[in-house]
Amino acid sequence: MPSPAPVVADRDDATQELYDLVAGLDPSPFSVEERTRALDRFVSLRSGREKPGRFWRVDFEAIAPEAKMIDLSAANVRVENHDPAVFVCDLATAARECPELFARAFGTTNIAATKFGSLTAAFAQCGVFVHVRADHACDVPIVISYSAPAGAAIFPWSVVLAERGARVTIVERLDGGAGAFLCGATEVVTEERADVHYAAFQQVADGARILWNRAARPGREARMSWASAELGGELAASDLSVSIEAPGVQANLTAIFFPRGSEHVDVVSTVDHRAGDATSETVVKTAALDRGQARFLGNIRIAPHAQGSDARLRDDALLLSPTAHVDSVPALEIGANVVKAYHGATVGAIDAEQIFYMESRGLERTAAERMIALGFFEPAVERFPTVQLRDEIRAALAAKLS
Amino acid sequence: MPDHGLRITNLRCQVAGKEILKGIDLTVEPGKIHALMGPNGSGKSTLAFSVTGHPQYEVTAGSVDLDGEDMLALPPDKRARAGLFLSFQYPAAIPGVKVANFLHAARQAERPGDLPPAKFRALLLEKMEQLGIDPSFMGRYLNDGFSGGEKKRLEMLQLAVLAPKYAILDETDSGLDIDALKDVGDSIAALRASEEGHNTGFLIITHYPRILSYVVPDVVHVMIDGRIVKTGGHDLAHRIEREGYDKLREESAVVA
Repeated sequence: MPSPAPVVADRDDATQELYDLVAGLDPSPFSVEERTRALDRFVSLRSGREKPGRFWRVDFEAIAPEAKMIDLSAANVRVENHDPAVFVCDLATAARECPELFARAFGTTNIAATKFGSLTAAFAQCGVFVHVRADHACDVPIVISYSAPAGAAIFPWSVVLAERGARVTIVERLDGGAGAFLCGATEVVTEERADVHYAAFQQVADGARILWNRAARPGREARMSWASAELGGELAASDLSVSIEAPGVQANLTAIFFPRGSEHVDVVSTVDHRAGDATSETVVKTAALDRGQARFLGNIRIAPHAQGSDARLRDDALLLSPTAHVDSVPALEIGANVVKAYHGATVGAIDAEQIFYMESRGLERTAAERMIALGFFEPAVERFPTVQLRDEIRAALAAKLS
Repeated sequence: MPDHGLRITNLRCQVAGKEILKGIDLTVEPGKIHALMGPNGSGKSTLAFSVTGHPQYEVTAGSVDLDGEDMLALPPDKRARAGLFLSFQYPAAIPGVKVANFLHAARQAERPGDLPPAKFRALLLEKMEQLGIDPSFMGRYLNDGFSGGEKKRLEMLQLAVLAPKYAILDETDSGLDIDALKDVGDSIAALRASEEGHNTGFLIITHYPRILSYVVPDVVHVMIDGRIVKTGGHDLAHRIEREGYDKLREESAVVA
């Protein structure tokens, strides 16, 4: 666990209630002391997110669950795993029965050092640990579902350890009722030549808020793919990161988001090339409708010694209403001199020539716009694993367009 | 007796405030092939876009009727559903929309429910084979990353699948080599030989007579400076091949 942040001297009543709650929690997967320090960090750290202003309505510094929403038994957790060779259990079981294995992955990313990752650490209780042993190929995707009842706050934590040469696909489904608050974390740690594809599909209800931090540390010559579809909630904030600490890694990051109505989506992707001869490709597709607003910050960092890195970042945004707003900020920090780095970003409305082309083939304007908008997402949708998941995402996008 | 034909009468059109078409009269009868020739900038593509309803082309006078139905009163999609087709000189690329899905949607829009998906797929494969198009085209994104020749082939495939009443081919020959030109000719011939397309009327826009060796027109029109200055038979195309447009331009200037 990271070192404690300074303790805030004067706590308001709402914050004190959170501390009181933490003091009574189970000491697994974090001890009460660790939870308290995590809460300290949550209270004192800045989110690093945009402040409210001319466009932005959301003040991330003011986001906190109310203590009365927190019922840690309320989380509905389901796991579908059809491969007996893959070990799957809850976090408490992992900490108790295979502590050394668990410790190789759990808490080894920087999640608990971030503001909302700290909040998850303070209240983490439900969660799933997945262990794929060396050279095992798990051919059927493992599905992890977290769901929060209306008005409840839950703090799930998923941990994946894929050993040398292991291969697995994991689909994370996130759901929540109106007014729910989900603040979760997913850590993936892999060893040499492992191949992990982790896809998250978020469809929480209108009026729910969801903040999720996903961090991966792939091993040498491993392949790590994150794919995230943020398609629900009045507020969705997502951090997607890969820390490349060994050479030869191939990292793929994909994000799809589509705020409409008064929804707000805020996604930060980070690929840290800290070892050379690795490739990363980030593909982000955003559409915004009505007063929906989205912000994407895409970080690519290449350390001075990470020679031979090849990093690509492609981010396209489609504005479907004059009142929608999308900010796209690709940020490249390149310290090495023998690298390939590419970034491209577009923000715009549907091209009138595309619409006319489709109309000239008999499609009504609304049908043409819909087909173009769905097509816009397709290069990203195709990067998600499993036909079923891709079809579900297409259906969810189509529903948002209707 | 309904008024058959794509009838363009005294059509005037402007783009960004500049008049391009200065009174066009032209009728394409069912089953006939008309060629519209003219030098660059004479207004040929403007005619194609104004007839099919491109929003940037403002029709200021005249009429366009398709078998008696007023096209100018309709949005572009309804003109297409009435039986009008435009093969684009520069077709838009639409990433993420697969060729097969788009063609199915277009066929459904123009002829709702006429073919169940399996039969549509069979039709598509048949037309692709006729046009020498690789089946992998079906899964590609519409015009995205296509070469110039591939785009034109896809336009011809759409023509074959939609079998319109009237087709305007806007410089479908530009940028094509001799073999590809022959393929365009073959695809028009195949449509005309089909049950659905035997009565399709064509307006083939070109500035080179080359394509007219493969698609023999019934009527040739020459457009210069927004006006049709000459109408004749196939021999007019040969004359242009020999003399170019200058002489016709001079003659039209004398007439004007």
